[in-house]
Parts: sequence; structure tokens; C-alpha cells
Amino acid sequence: MFQQAFALLIIVFFLTRLVKQRQRNQITQNESIFWLIFWLLAALAIIFIKTIDQVVAALGFSGSGINFLLYVAIMILFYFIFKMRLKIVKIEKEITNITREAALKK
Amino acid sequence: MKVFCVIPAYNEAQSIVAVINRVKPIVDELVVVDDHSSDRTLELAKSALIPVLHHIVNRGQGAALQTGNDYALLNGADIIVHFDADGQFLAEEIKDMVKPILDNQADIVFGSRFLGKKSNLPRFKKNVIMPLAKMFNKIFFGINLSDPQNGFRAMSAKVAQEIKIESDGMAHCNEILIAAHRNKYRIQEVPITVIYHEFGQKFSGGIRIIKDLIYKKLTK
Repeated sequence: MFQQAFALLIIVFFLTRLVKQRQRNQITQNESIFWLIFWLLAALAIIFIKTIDQVVAALGFSGSGINFLLYVAIMILFYFIFKMRLKIVKIEKEITNITREAALKK
Repeated sequence: MKVFCVIPAYNEAQSIVAVINRVKPIVDELVVVDDHSSDRTLELAKSALIPVLHHIVNRGQGAALQTGNDYALLNGADIIVHFDADGQFLAEEIKDMVKPILDNQADIVFGSRFLGKKSNLPRFKKNVIMPLAKMFNKIFFGINLSDPQNGFRAMSAKVAQEIKIESDGMAHCNEILIAAHRNKYRIQEVPITVIYHEFGQKFSGGIRIIKDLIYKKLTK
């Protein structure tokens, strides 16, 4: 119970930061919506952790719900890293094109 | 037929002038693409009174070659030769490389270190890295050439127009080979000599090539 309350407090902290960042225009509206949904889902997962435990057990996983969430989080992180890497490759391609154009123009 | 030589150069101040002077009398035109060298390569190449293109950012050998190809095509090249700036190839062998294209027997010609002529290849490279590279090309792309990682090549203007090198780094060798096979060009291998001053492409370089090829496929 204490752990859940502590985790929720952390989420509240990040949500207040999110609101402040949005007010100062440091992040775009789409980004703020993404993070708002992310933190709200995290809060829901913490509140209903027992239900998640039951669902995970029903699905046949041996670990607890929190373990399952950790696996999912790591999978999502890997996906984001991969996406980011692809984006970097595309940006690099554009840098090459600009460099080439500049070289040929001179 | 206008034979145009493209020399990509990155920190080759020691050899660039000698290479230019050896290649210049053999071809109709040549261009050096300085890939943002940090030494005096650019300045020295310009002093040789030939066209020199400069990359404002270092982009890798493949990118420099494509810049050179674009320049050669804009200037009416009929045959484009890729030649290294470090002095490891022999300029007089350019004639052997372009001959099959001049004779209309090939569209693209690859130099090979393993077809008779003597090259002082480091042992580890000859016995481990090269067979692995050959195996990789054979298994994944069905390409069976004696020297798939050779940077000395000649191609007709038609081939240069159709193959756009997208791998900025060292994967351009594989990329050109794959495209040549896919487009069903007439391919020939010509024996060449390579004088090794240093080891060149290492095992880690080979891994990077494979990684570059995978990312190229994914970002297409």
C-alpha cells in the first residue's frame, strides 16, 4: 500500500512538471498529450496492480503483474530506440544530400 | 569515350599529389572529392590544378564516390573509374579496367586482388576477413566474385546513372555489387595489384558494413 502511494506521488510530481512545461511552451501539444496519457496509464496500472496480477496469472505468466509491466516497458523502450535510430539514419541521409549539393554547386 | 576518374580522399595529404600525378596522364578527366579532411588534402589537391570538390561535413567514402559520380556525369563522362587516394592501386591498371567497357564486353568492371597478380595482402585479411566477406555475399546476395570488397572499379555512364550509392560508409562495395547483379549488368573481374601500406578495412569495419546494409534496407 505504501509503495503504491509512493509511486502515485512520483507520478503526480511528473504530471505537475508536465503542466508547467506545457505552460512555458517547452513541449508541443502532441508531446504533452502523449506524456499525459503515459502517466495516467502508469497511475492506472499502479492502482489496479492486483487486477493486473490476476490477468497476468490467467494468461499463464509465472511472474507478478509488476514484472510483466517491466517487460512491456523494456519492449516499448527497445521499440523507441529502434525508431530513433531509423530517424537518425534518415537525417544522416539528408545531411549527405545537402553536403553533396553544396560540393557540386561550388 | 571520355574516361573520368573519381578519387575520394579523406586525410590523404601524404599520397594525394602523387596519386593525382600518376592518374592524370592516363584518364581524360579526374575529380578529387575531399571528404572534409582535417589535414592538407584539400589544399594539396587544389594545387595540382584539377577539379576538387569539397564536402563541408565528413560523410564517408560511399558519399564521396556518389558526389564524384554526379560531377562526372554532369561533365559528360562515358566511363567512370573509382580509384583510391592512398596510393594502393596502380594507375597504369586503369587501362585494363576500362578495356572491357571500351570493347563493349562489360557494363561494370571490378578489380580483383585474387586473380593472378601479386598483392601483399596481410595474412589475417587474406585468410579470414576476405573469405568471410565472400561467404556473406554468396549466402545473402548470391554474388560469387573473387574480391567483393575491392574499391577499384570502372562503370559505364549508364550504370552510374542507374546506381545511386546510398551507403555513405564502406558498404558501397556491396551496394554496387548487389545493384549490378539485380540490374543484370554485364560484369567482369580484372586482376589488379594492391600495395598495402596499412591494414585497411578491419574486422570491425566488416561488421559496420553489414549493419549499414541492414539499416539501408530498413530505411528505404
